[in-house]
Amino acid sequence: MTQPPQTLALKARNLAKRFGPVQAVTRIDIDLPAGQALGLLGPNGAGKSTTLAMLMGLAAPDTGQVLVFGHPAGSARARRITGATPQAADFPDQLTPREILTYAAARYGVPLRPDDIVPQFGLGALIDRRLAGFSGGEMRRVALALAFVGRPRLVFLDEPTTGLDSAAQDGFRTVAQNYVTQGGTLILTSHHWPEIEAICTAITLIDRGETVLSGRIDTIRAQTRITRIGFALPQDTTPPDWLAATPDGTRWQSESTDSDALLRRMVAEALPFRDLTLQPLDLKDLIHRLRHKEARP
Amino acid sequence: MIRHLTTETTLTLRILFRQPGFWIPTVLFPAMLYAFFGANSGGGTWAANAMASFAIYAVLGVGFFQFGVSVAQDRATAFARWQRSLPGHAALPWVARIMVSVLVVTMAVALVVAVARAMADITLPALAWARLGAACLMASVAATVMGIALGHLASARTAVPLANLVYLPLAYLGGLWVPPMLMPEAINALSVWMPTRAMGELAWAAIEGRPFAPRDLGLLAAWTLAAAALTRATQMHHHRPRLPHPNRAGG
Repeated sequence: MTQPPQTLALKARNLAKRFGPVQAVTRIDIDLPAGQALGLLGPNGAGKSTTLAMLMGLAAPDTGQVLVFGHPAGSARARRITGATPQAADFPDQLTPREILTYAAARYGVPLRPDDIVPQFGLGALIDRRLAGFSGGEMRRVALALAFVGRPRLVFLDEPTTGLDSAAQDGFRTVAQNYVTQGGTLILTSHHWPEIEAICTAITLIDRGETVLSGRIDTIRAQTRITRIGFALPQDTTPPDWLAATPDGTRWQSESTDSDALLRRMVAEALPFRDLTLQPLDLKDLIHRLRHKEARP
Repeated sequence: MIRHLTTETTLTLRILFRQPGFWIPTVLFPAMLYAFFGANSGGGTWAANAMASFAIYAVLGVGFFQFGVSVAQDRATAFARWQRSLPGHAALPWVARIMVSVLVVTMAVALVVAVARAMADITLPALAWARLGAACLMASVAATVMGIALGHLASARTAVPLANLVYLPLAYLGGLWVPPMLMPEAINALSVWMPTRAMGELAWAAIEGRPFAPRDLGLLAAWTLAAAALTRATQMHHHRPRLPHPNRAGG
């Protein structure tokens, strides 16, 4: 599964898609090297699911092209090396998870390895039960297992942890992280920022059908380097204006792209702070700042 | 290809046969109708022709409900969409459905024939049985293609009423319930252009030892092609061709 670093697992150029009067996607460009995990982000209605459908080859773009390891998306060769989870887990409830997993594995031409896949997705007690009566979370676990059962090189996941309890979410994160560590490539949509931060190495932010921000998360962080500084002050003491601090419960917080300089000035001006905390801006806030150009020096 | 087809057919069979509420009525209903209205309608050639009519009626039911309704309902599911992302030829699910459909048709027709033999003591030469089988097969292909067209036109919600709206009048207009010679003249004038009439004429010709009329074969082929073209047009509507972006040449 290991790829040379420059191999592009997915290349999308100039994608556009209209549904009747609605221009769902105006222009999307993505370059995703193999062995990376890309988070497709955006508000509701931004065009994430339409974009994902085009990347998977399930919807033909009106313009543009998608290549999966050099093969057109949706082509027989591309489908052989990609895995996906159904967007909604509406499986025929006459079947058992083992039957669906066996079916999917057979379509990929690989044997089902229950010892491998069953514990990873917590399906032990469920594997031979008919799906009728499964909870939404249990169905979701089956859906996630389906994406990986064919040992694909690239996996597409649309809102993968919707409906999962926190233990199952943690389990999924481990599976996804291991998959990427072992050289697999992942594309997922999610509204769950901690999930994106935990799994993804790169993001593409979509808004109104266009790519508005794209890149590796560590590069985005390095470019902005905003640090959130939290501290407490004695009662009746207010922070000076130059600190631009805002109240945070009983504490205060400030942000800076040069936290060392800010701290030196706090010490130099003998600000009576205590319980100091420093942490990088989380991804959600970072992206919000980048988009609205509110980051302060 | 064969391995994928076996996998797909096994899944389709599992899903179908674990829904007895769906397939049992499809298989039983034509035989039941024949027992009520065909077997006791005079015996001899009349009962044999009625058997052929209800065999075609069984074929029609499988085509419209196994295909029309289930295609429309499945088309809307995320599971069907996910299946399209799997390796293997895109036509696999359709071929599997056709194979399962042929199996269900065989069961339904066999039951009509069994009831006919038991209740009306129908005996035919082997050639007549073989030609009746061929007529059912031709009817099955046409009904399947028409069912698929209906499944593409209808939404999951409208599929059942629409299938009934088309299926029941077609059965009547084809002379499957009331023999054509008993139809009012105006209805009969319309009947001769119906696909179900062509299906019926082929089945009756098999029973009576007459050759298949080219007109019936041609009419059935024309309806089948028209349904296939309608399906294709509907698919094209959903998957429009790729065009160059107006603001950027190439990709």
